[in-house]
Amino acid sequence: MLSLKNVVTCYGTIKALKGISMEIAEGEIVALIGANGAGKTTTLKTISGLLTPTEGEIIFDGVDITRRQPEDIVKMGISHVPEGRRVFSRMTVMENLELGAYSRQGRGSGRKQIQEDLDKVFSLFPKLKERQKQPAGTLSGGEQQMLAMGRALMSRPKMLLLDEPSMGLAPMIVKDVFRIIQEINRAGTTVLLVEQNAHLALNTASRAYVLETGKVVLQGGSQELLKNDQVRQAYLGE
Amino acid sequence: MLQQVVNGLTLGSSYALIALGYTMVYGVLRLINFAHGEIYMAGAFIGLMASQVAGLPFAVAMLTAMAGAAVVGVIVERIAYRPLRKAPRLAVLISAIGMSIFLRNLALALMGPQTRAFPIPFEVKQLHVGKLRISSFDVLILLTSVGLMIGLHFLVQKTKIGKAMRAVAEDKETASLMGISVNRIIAFTFAIGSALAAAAGVLIGMNFNAVDPSMGMMPGLKGFTAAVLGGVGSIPGAMLGGLLLGMAEVMGVALLRSEWRDAIAFGILALVLLVKPSGILGRNLQEKV
Ligand SMILES: Nc1ncnc2c1ncn2[C@@H]1O[C@H](COP(=O)(O)OP(=O)(O)OP(=O)(O)O)[C@@H](O)[C@H]1O
Ligand SMILES: [Mg+2]
Repeated sequence: MLSLKNVVTCYGTIKALKGISMEIAEGEIVALIGANGAGKTTTLKTISGLLTPTEGEIIFDGVDITRRQPEDIVKMGISHVPEGRRVFSRMTVMENLELGAYSRQGRGSGRKQIQEDLDKVFSLFPKLKERQKQPAGTLSGGEQQMLAMGRALMSRPKMLLLDEPSMGLAPMIVKDVFRIIQEINRAGTTVLLVEQNAHLALNTASRAYVLETGKVVLQGGSQELLKNDQVRQAYLGE
Repeated sequence: MLQQVVNGLTLGSSYALIALGYTMVYGVLRLINFAHGEIYMAGAFIGLMASQVAGLPFAVAMLTAMAGAAVVGVIVERIAYRPLRKAPRLAVLISAIGMSIFLRNLALALMGPQTRAFPIPFEVKQLHVGKLRISSFDVLILLTSVGLMIGLHFLVQKTKIGKAMRAVAEDKETASLMGISVNRIIAFTFAIGSALAAAAGVLIGMNFNAVDPSMGMMPGLKGFTAAVLGGVGSIPGAMLGGLLLGMAEVMGVALLRSEWRDAIAFGILALVLLVKPSGILGRNLQEKV
């Protein structure tokens, strides 16, 4: 469904991604793990079009999206939940969700379809329904994460890019969020999950890529990686 | 006294129209569009041409001026600001001032330096309400300004494009992830701000029966002052700032002398910048990184 081939992305003259290749099939949850500064966020931003690679190509559903603008990529079905949630804090919960549906055009952008998807989001995240008139900036961290995910779902994505959904959340809330990620996946959305918490990531995803300073150094099935000595030492703290 | 309030409201509502353009552009670009006063001037000229040369009725001439100025605003954004989106602030500021000088000189070249009369194209009546004397043109200024402000409020708060504007103002990167074309929304913001300035240009041009290439300077500065007073970036702030400034000027002139008019306005600007740079309704100007 999504493939990256030798993708290089730079900040100025510094190469943050040094030729990354990945394959994600429809219906999977794939994790991307790595230490601080490994290039996880850069990878997601390159896929969603916020950054443009200098080399390599990105193919989504058979279409080359390497140099497309972010607003086009979301229309094609990739929705990015950014690091730090980035809800529109001065706007209400409802307005944030409406903005999530901004990219929808033609069939599927009618009031009725949007209402249907709102109902779906509210059934996944009942808290958001209670708080729909509240400015998003007044939500708790966990609620903001849920809003960011709900907002992303409002574009009816085929694929969801999640950047550290557990960041700064209490363990109870993290469990909730990850249960919902699996639920979203079961309903048919492919997920690429970036996580610092390798335990959590490998227990959620079926496969994973391990990133180190802009390169993929390991990849494989999650169970396999959980047993890998290198992974256990570097990422699982064992 | 009540008479002064009416005069202050009339003056203030036109300041508010100008202030809105500053504040909306600041909202999406964090930049003061120093060419805004010249867009106001361009709007007045287009309105003059539409009314005098083409002989269009008032409402149509007004709409023509607003549409024409919107186009000017979009072009200004395209050539003076968009190429500098990632440039340092100082470069953008210089570009803005350059654009302002260019437009003023363009108007000089095209229209000549003389002040042209811009007569009100219909008969103005004096209305008497108790002891108050209000001209029907003052009423028109008030109604037009208030109508435009209500329309703007509806646009920004309720429509899809208005929500996109607010999203862009808050976080451009995330807005683009929603599928919003950020450049298109910025251009749209310039168009709306410029159209409002043009409405003010036509109303004030007719009120003083005068249009000339440098007419944008003083109202431009007043609009800027009003925007800062209300809190730059805040739309209700621009409306409030405009009305307060108009009121302060009229009251000040009534108490002191008319020479004090501009001194009062800029005294207020200096005071606000010293005491509360974020203005009355403004959020803290400190940007989160
Ligand atoms: N805007 C930027 N300008 C310059 N360098 C940057 C920028 N953003 C990231 N980098 C650099 O690129 C590299 C990869 O950063 P990235 O944010 O992708 O890491 P990450 O794996 O997401 O880390 P974290 O776990 O801390 O979120 C780092 O060395 C970082 O310093
Ligand atoms: Mg990151």
